[in-house]
Amino acid sequence: MIPFEQLLVQAINGIVTGMILALVASGLTLIFGIMDVVNFAHGDLFMLGAYVGTTVFVTTGNFWLALLGACVTMAALGAALQITTLRPLLGRDPLTTILATFGISLVLQNYALWQYGPVPRKIMEPLTGHFQLFHIEYPWYRLLIAMLSAVIIGGLWLFMKYGTYGIWIRATTQDRLMASAMGIPVPRVHTGVFAIGAAMAAASGVLFAPLVGVNHAMGFDFTLRAFVVVVVGGMGNLGGSILASIFLSLLEAFASLWVSPAQAVIVSFIVLILTLLFRPTGLFVPTPK
Amino acid sequence: MLSLQDVHTYYGKSHVLHGVSLEVGPGEVVGLLGRNGVGKSTTLKTVMGLVRAADGRVVFDGRDLTGLAPHHVARLGIAWVPEDRRIFRLLTVMENLRTGLDRQGVTEPRRRELLDKVYASFPVLRERRHQAGGTLSGGEQQMLAIARAMTLEPKIILLDEPTEGLMPRMVAQIREIIDVLRRDGLAILLVEQNVPLTLEVCARVYIMEKGQVRYRGPAGELRANETIIHQYLGVSA
Ligand SMILES: Nc1ncnc2c1ncn2[C@@H]1O[C@H](COP(=O)(O)OP(=O)(O)OP(=O)(O)O)[C@@H](O)[C@H]1O
Ligand SMILES: [Mg+2]
Repeated sequence: MIPFEQLLVQAINGIVTGMILALVASGLTLIFGIMDVVNFAHGDLFMLGAYVGTTVFVTTGNFWLALLGACVTMAALGAALQITTLRPLLGRDPLTTILATFGISLVLQNYALWQYGPVPRKIMEPLTGHFQLFHIEYPWYRLLIAMLSAVIIGGLWLFMKYGTYGIWIRATTQDRLMASAMGIPVPRVHTGVFAIGAAMAAASGVLFAPLVGVNHAMGFDFTLRAFVVVVVGGMGNLGGSILASIFLSLLEAFASLWVSPAQAVIVSFIVLILTLLFRPTGLFVPTPK
Repeated sequence: MLSLQDVHTYYGKSHVLHGVSLEVGPGEVVGLLGRNGVGKSTTLKTVMGLVRAADGRVVFDGRDLTGLAPHHVARLGIAWVPEDRRIFRLLTVMENLRTGLDRQGVTEPRRRELLDKVYASFPVLRERRHQAGGTLSGGEQQMLAIARAMTLEPKIILLDEPTEGLMPRMVAQIREIIDVLRRDGLAILLVEQNVPLTLEVCARVYIMEKGQVRYRGPAGELRANETIIHQYLGVSA
């Protein structure tokens, strides 16, 4: 029998990782919804965002400035990338767009390696204390990450629900041609979504950096998990992705009570396969007939 | 005001419009008739810039629209009500209307005025304003599609088969709306299968066949001439 404290600790761990995963996945799912293709460069935007964060952190010593600077820089870079490489492909075979994002991914990764070198960098957390959770010392910073992620996701939610731009994004996601016939500047909406997605990836990169350190391959693990989450939550479904992030992270956290964390990942893939088999439109949306 | 001059349109390799020419004057209600598949909807889509004219010109208020993106065309004052309605199904009725209302240069009082006007024409939309567009009935979706076009304050509305598949009561209501729009000074290019309705509400009528305009004339002339109607449309009015 597993003691109750351990269950609680794992539940908190699961929610914390789930929230940051949700941050990565909501950018990815937003971009998927509007472009109909997976953005293979998403993990690299996450990684590069973390690097930009380290640069700002080294010069200013301020974590919050690093977070803000990374978001703004990556939003601008995301917009520039979208305008130069993806906008011209709008309306073409999705495969060309997939390849283009793959190309962006390679360029960003090699740029990071060339610019920052192979030695991992670190950002210091803005909050260093611990609190006592039963027998272990639990870092406050982990709770802060979860809360900040929730705030950012909540902000995105309100923006998508009530903002004019949010309505433009949802309309364009549903029917690109009709949206343009209503005077919605569809190319600009695409660019905006890519910029928002990049900024959210950057935010998660910076938030996560103090826990793991920043290196040019750090995006890989998270993107893989974000892809799983986006599929399980229903491609392009924002709410579904958020729920799936938390659900899968909790599942992995509990699974790691019995097996090693590396093996616990398998649980997510089992859920992924089951979802694809039985609920291809997502775990939380009823499959249309 | 709107004029198409020898417009050719392709879908991939298939040549659909073989030189369409027609005009709609300010405040004029003009009908565009023709059998299935002759290119009526394609004509409207070409005006909107949703499909590109390979040859010929589309001119609106002295401006060449050819090659312009649809959102620019819409902002110049041309609204499109597609034949399959194309409601944003996951957006509420209100959000559907906001896609047209939330534009630059619309002040808050003007916005409210426009919304009141739309709700006055379609009271059922006010009742259902928080309901998802996809849950509306066919007739209500048609009303929402027209209402959504009205929020753009267009100079002309391209109406594609607004009465298709509707019950007689709904058809009568759509007819009334067309009259209201006309009284407001809007021009309408009306694509229809319902010949009697078209002849009643339109001053002039074009008939298309195989991607070209084959007949043009005042509605009165067509009303008096069963043979033309029969020849091009295979129906009697
Ligand atoms: N997206 C498309 N791709 C290829 N061909 C198309 C496309 N849309 C329409 N067509 C073809 O172009 C021709 C004209 O179509 P269009 O929809 O303009 O006809 P229509 O006059 O509106 O007919 P209906 O009365 O049935 O609505 C048809 O032969 C149709 O099959
Ligand atoms: Mg048609």
